[in-house]
Amino acid sequence: MSVGFLLIHAKPHRTSAMLLSWALFVTGIAAYLYIAAARHRDNAEERVTPTIAQMARGMYDAALKPAEDDEATSTDGSLLQRFRNSMLWKDTKATSRRFIISMVLLIPAVLLGLHMGLFPYIGAFFLRFVLFFDKIVALSLLPILFIAFGIDELAKIMLIVIGVTPTIILDTFNLTRAVPSEQLVKAFTLGAGDFDAAYRVVLKQILPRVLNSIRLNLKSVMLFLFAGEMIASTDGLAFRIALLRRHMGMDVIIPYVLWVALLLFLVDFGMRVLNRKLHPWFQES
Amino acid sequence: MALIAIDDVSVAYGTPARAVLDQISLQIEEGQFVCVLGQTGCGKSTLLRLVLGSEKPLHGKILIDGVEHHQPDRTRGYVPQKYSLFPDKTVLDNITFGPEVSEFSLLGHLTPRYYRRRRELRQEAFDYLRRIGLREADAGKYPEQLSGGMQQRVAIAQALITKPRILLMDEAFSALDPGTRRGMQDLIRELWRATGTTIVFVTHNTQEALRLATRVIVLAKPSPELGSLVKLDLAVPDPCFEEEIPHLVQKLESGAGWHPATDYLPAV
Repeated sequence: MSVGFLLIHAKPHRTSAMLLSWALFVTGIAAYLYIAAARHRDNAEERVTPTIAQMARGMYDAALKPAEDDEATSTDGSLLQRFRNSMLWKDTKATSRRFIISMVLLIPAVLLGLHMGLFPYIGAFFLRFVLFFDKIVALSLLPILFIAFGIDELAKIMLIVIGVTPTIILDTFNLTRAVPSEQLVKAFTLGAGDFDAAYRVVLKQILPRVLNSIRLNLKSVMLFLFAGEMIASTDGLAFRIALLRRHMGMDVIIPYVLWVALLLFLVDFGMRVLNRKLHPWFQES
Repeated sequence: MALIAIDDVSVAYGTPARAVLDQISLQIEEGQFVCVLGQTGCGKSTLLRLVLGSEKPLHGKILIDGVEHHQPDRTRGYVPQKYSLFPDKTVLDNITFGPEVSEFSLLGHLTPRYYRRRRELRQEAFDYLRRIGLREADAGKYPEQLSGGMQQRVAIAQALITKPRILLMDEAFSALDPGTRRGMQDLIRELWRATGTTIVFVTHNTQEALRLATRVIVLAKPSPELGSLVKLDLAVPDPCFEEEIPHLVQKLESGAGWHPATDYLPAV
């Protein structure tokens, strides 16, 4: 039988494509369950591969029991109230706050990239510096940042800024330069000034691609955020994961990792929906 | 005074310099429909960009109504071959972009006057939409949803709504199929008659030039190393009847073994 059906011209049926897309998830979960069961058979105190029941209990405690520092808080109250007093909620809130500040700080990065791409003197002034900055491994700056800015929020935010903004600036710069010059000439012939051309023509055209670029960099934002939280923080999802590592708390670490992945997936999904709503023309092309 | 005066203009690119245009001098009067004709690489589009102000000559100067313009502005409308519309704007928004951007600053969008004026502009845009043969239902479409011919129609309306004194069109119909192209030629002639706008139209298609223009300027290189010169400057009868076109085509295309110093044909 020819194997041609597996090659470029293959047209997988919708059902088979769906089954294939879930196959690795199912395999991974099955392999984990098998290994966990085997290890628990050998050692009842096994903590590296918690069972599903152990993880569910760990997550229940994290999501519905008061945080360690709030032991005095009543365990009564509605589910929502209990969740809002929980360790998971407090950690999520702390990480989200840092994440939102980091995302807001990307706005000036986008504007800088836009101006660098459009205004030659601004480009000449910043480009070499940003290119150099982009090559610095942000994590290697971590000790310097903690010395310079202390171990407060500022150092963590700066780590994200240094780690991600050069990429966003350069992406925006390249996207700006890729706008056909005819579009700018056309805008000027229609009466646009320099800033009209920048904001009403170029920014509007590149914005969906910039949002996609930010989406692709979400993981980097989280990476730097987690690095900062793990090293110097008293709250946050990464702080908790680092803390639980010391106690081999895999029953909470694994659900926490999945929770972070879910949150990131939701942010990515939200940005995708927003992009589609704000820029219906982009979907057309 | 000529509306467009191209005075002894030369252009060269690269290092070592490669001549593109060599001491071109032309005068274009208000209301003319001028086609610039020539083979690929002869500098037709360069000449257009010089008039547009998006490129500067090595020597010489270009005057629009006696004034030098160093960058594109709304005195000269522009319809390129590609990327003629803003992809993020609907047909209607593309057409109203010019008046909106001229009348309202970025913050001007926040004023009530903007919304009142916007309603008027949209009515005007619908008028243009009808004139270029599009339906009202097309107003909300994005350029990507339109055919090439429809996109160029919208681009013409977009340029004309700002009432420029000069409309510069760079191979604007080159990417269209013959049927659509013919329709567009009729449309632009009709709009030229109705508005009286001076049009400079770059093309490499002799038939198209003769069908459209009241004057055809042929650019050609005397040799590959030299820049283009004005090979022929021909007044075309207006209206130009179909049966005259083959004769004029022959006249325009009989350029073999040509020497600029001796074969320059003045406008007839």
